[in-house]
Amino acid sequence: MGPALLLAPALVFLAVAYLLPLIDLARISAAGAPWWAHFERVFSVPLYWESLLRTMGVALTVAALCAAFGYPTALLIHRTRGVTRVMIATAIILPYFIAVLIRTYAWMVLLGRNGPINKSAIWLGFYEQPMALLFNRGAVLLGMTAVLLPLMVLSIYSSLSRLDQSLVRAALASGAGPLAVFWRVLLPLTAPGVGAGFLLVFVSALGFFITPTLLGGPADQMFAMHITQQAESITGEGFLQALAVVLLVITLVVVGVAGKLMGFEFIWGGGRLAEVAPAPARARARTQSGVAAAGADLLGWPALRVLGRLPGGWGAWTVRLMAGFVIGVLILPILVVIVISFSSASYLTFPPPGWSLRWYEKFFSDPDWMAAFRNSLVIAAMSACIAVALGASAAVGIVRGELRYKSALMLLLVSPMIVPPVVLGLSLYGLFLKLGLVGTHVGLAAAHAIGGVPIVVVIVAAALQGVDRRLEQSAAVHGAAPFTVFRTVTLPAIAPGLAAAVFFAFLHSFDELVLSLFLSSPRLRTLPLRLWADVNYQLNPVLAVVSALEVAMVIVGVALARPIFGRSRAAH
Amino acid sequence: MAVIHPKAASVAVAALVIGLAGPALAQSKEVVMQDPGGGYGDALRKVMYAPFEKETGIKVVTVQEARSGPRIKTQVEAGKTEWDLTFIFDQETKLLGDCCLADIDYGKMSPQAQKTLAAMPENLKRRKGVALQVIGVGLVYNKDVYKSKKPASWADFWDVKSFPGKRCVPAWPRFVMEAALMADGVAKDKLYPLDMDRALKKIAEIKPHVSKWWTTSAQPPQLLLDGEADMCMAYTGSTSKLALEGAPIEVEWNQGFVYYDFFSIPKGAPNMENAHKLLSWRLEPKRAAELTSNFPVALPSPVVFQAADPAVSKYWANNPANVSRAIEWSPDYWGAQAPDGRKTNEELGQEKLNALLAK
Repeated sequence: MGPALLLAPALVFLAVAYLLPLIDLARISAAGAPWWAHFERVFSVPLYWESLLRTMGVALTVAALCAAFGYPTALLIHRTRGVTRVMIATAIILPYFIAVLIRTYAWMVLLGRNGPINKSAIWLGFYEQPMALLFNRGAVLLGMTAVLLPLMVLSIYSSLSRLDQSLVRAALASGAGPLAVFWRVLLPLTAPGVGAGFLLVFVSALGFFITPTLLGGPADQMFAMHITQQAESITGEGFLQALAVVLLVITLVVVGVAGKLMGFEFIWGGGRLAEVAPAPARARARTQSGVAAAGADLLGWPALRVLGRLPGGWGAWTVRLMAGFVIGVLILPILVVIVISFSSASYLTFPPPGWSLRWYEKFFSDPDWMAAFRNSLVIAAMSACIAVALGASAAVGIVRGELRYKSALMLLLVSPMIVPPVVLGLSLYGLFLKLGLVGTHVGLAAAHAIGGVPIVVVIVAAALQGVDRRLEQSAAVHGAAPFTVFRTVTLPAIAPGLAAAVFFAFLHSFDELVLSLFLSSPRLRTLPLRLWADVNYQLNPVLAVVSALEVAMVIVGVALARPIFGRSRAAH
Repeated sequence: MAVIHPKAASVAVAALVIGLAGPALAQSKEVVMQDPGGGYGDALRKVMYAPFEKETGIKVVTVQEARSGPRIKTQVEAGKTEWDLTFIFDQETKLLGDCCLADIDYGKMSPQAQKTLAAMPENLKRRKGVALQVIGVGLVYNKDVYKSKKPASWADFWDVKSFPGKRCVPAWPRFVMEAALMADGVAKDKLYPLDMDRALKKIAEIKPHVSKWWTTSAQPPQLLLDGEADMCMAYTGSTSKLALEGAPIEVEWNQGFVYYDFFSIPKGAPNMENAHKLLSWRLEPKRAAELTSNFPVALPSPVVFQAADPAVSKYWANNPANVSRAIEWSPDYWGAQAPDGRKTNEELGQEKLNALLAK
């Protein structure tokens, strides 16, 4: 039972700071008379249920776009070697760690009236007047797809890298063309990866708030935006919570159905846990691929016959072109923002009319920006401490403990990853007000740690699974006490994983905006909050400076964590 | 509040360990004030808060927030009021009065401030709030675009044939619905209660020509300057500021809207004394006139109007010349219960407008 006790602190923390507020949220939502009164309004006023349908439509489209463009990209990473591979992988992974707010802001710059796209199109003579590229559905889809693509690519890539290469060679040797190999071998075998990626993207997109708010017009109201809007209304109490509960229930139903079909492991990216109770997951996996193969037969062959008439090499070029496009979409906005940060102009225009460091000076000399920056550093450091202390011990507990219901516990530990941040923020506001935690460093750090714990658990659990148990056992056999075993054998082995966990937990808090929107106070402005206020107020180049600094921070962090990151992924 | 809460101890320890936190503030030496941000916020800081801090030693902490009513309600109901002085809508002094707003102690105002108050109409100095800013919403357009024929009414605003160009309009029902009805031929004294469905029909007509449904007061001037819009329904404050600075922008007051922002102290405000001090400070006529000379949002007292520069006060929403052309906007209508009894007219209108915009 020993190590299993290590789960307790994290479970208590999540029960109090995460489950309890969500239960309270449900209670308030059902406090109408009759209890379903608020829910009735959600489904009887077209504004809301139409928005719900729209949100699901957008999320599906984004997930499909991500799959369509993510697959070739993952294939390209898989097929290239050496420096090229590292560069492509970096181009995908780097944006993944940059705050959503900053990446969305970069799209605002790119698509703006005087942005590089309009400027180049006019210069090339496509049209004369700048076009309105922002504030429409296309911009929302593009922005959300760009933000969520790395998730999809990583998910597909991890299933591609686990693929037995001899199967591909065997298929080729048996006379299958490259297309047939793709359709009959690659696609069915990587279908779980695609499925997992699709679901992760879909679920994240359901609760999206930042990107559609900034890039969309009034016709692109997503469901999460109604929640923040209702928070502005005096009589919204109850109805507001009902909206949140609806979004939460839909998310949980999607995840639940997906988990039943393909195992809940998709949430944390593979790593099946050794349970005491036998898991019947194998059989399920077989029927899954059976269905996929049947689908491939039914739809695939007619399509293949048509595609087979195309000249050879066409497929490889399709992969390269699409992947190249993806890399452009991910990297270009970041590059443009870095360039803009050195602009001498006081408004956003590309290319900059001149170069200067004035915006860097402005950022570092403005006491408001500096205070926000300091607050974010302090909160992120505190949050990382909480998340790592709780998450790492929970990971040891779940990997080393002899327990039943391991998957269920793991599911609980990582579930904050799938709860829409808007819902979480709203539910926490009530609790925080009662406890006097609104606008405190501790409060924000704890709130951010709710999302930090799952990150730490996943990384440290993966690192632990990579540690050879026999080493620990032999140390114990030779008389080392459990803690000594941990300190001298286990800890050094998982140290890199722990370091990565610290970095990502820090980054998670440093970038967090939505919870902070609900839980901060006038005296406690974080960097993302300040960015958010300015993005909504005026797009000045100071935002580009903050973005450039964040990119630099992530590059340094990822470079430091790279060997570790590689190892913990390999451990899956 | 961070500074008085027991949790503050752990915050302080953590901050000391990391060594980055700023100095903590003694509670009685500050006041938390809601702030509109932007150019107006800058003017307030310069004219009002900086000298106030210097003279009283009380630090003014500003919170940028466009609308505070709902937040006040949540804070007060949870017994954790964070703000000391806020500005809310006319209708909200009534909707929130009993539950959430403290009585203003007018006896605590300085003799100078008393002068301003004495000259104000009774209705503007209520137990739960005092009208401290007159806000105007009008038709604002780019002079360079409409040179020969100038738009002069909401009918012109809706007339995209005679006045081609892009529009920008707030994404709220208030003002927009009234303007739509006037454009549709309803007389300005026959507006209330509003025929919302008729208004929405008219709004649907202008919708294809609206480049942006704006939400913050800083957006319309930006849109007009960038050429994203040629004609806007906009706050007169921030746009006339640009006109004063020489931008090609004109503010048309005909059929415009004049209303008041009320300054209120939420119940349980942590620095109630200081809130009264700051309120008194802001009511003193000389300073109020100086503020409005920096930024044309006026205080509704003739005493302040007389103390101001006429070149600037011609843009003020309480200038009799402007008021006579504007309409009497009804906060009471928007604050009243909608027919279904579950929400206010404002919330009903917002729901309907959002549904139209989402199409």
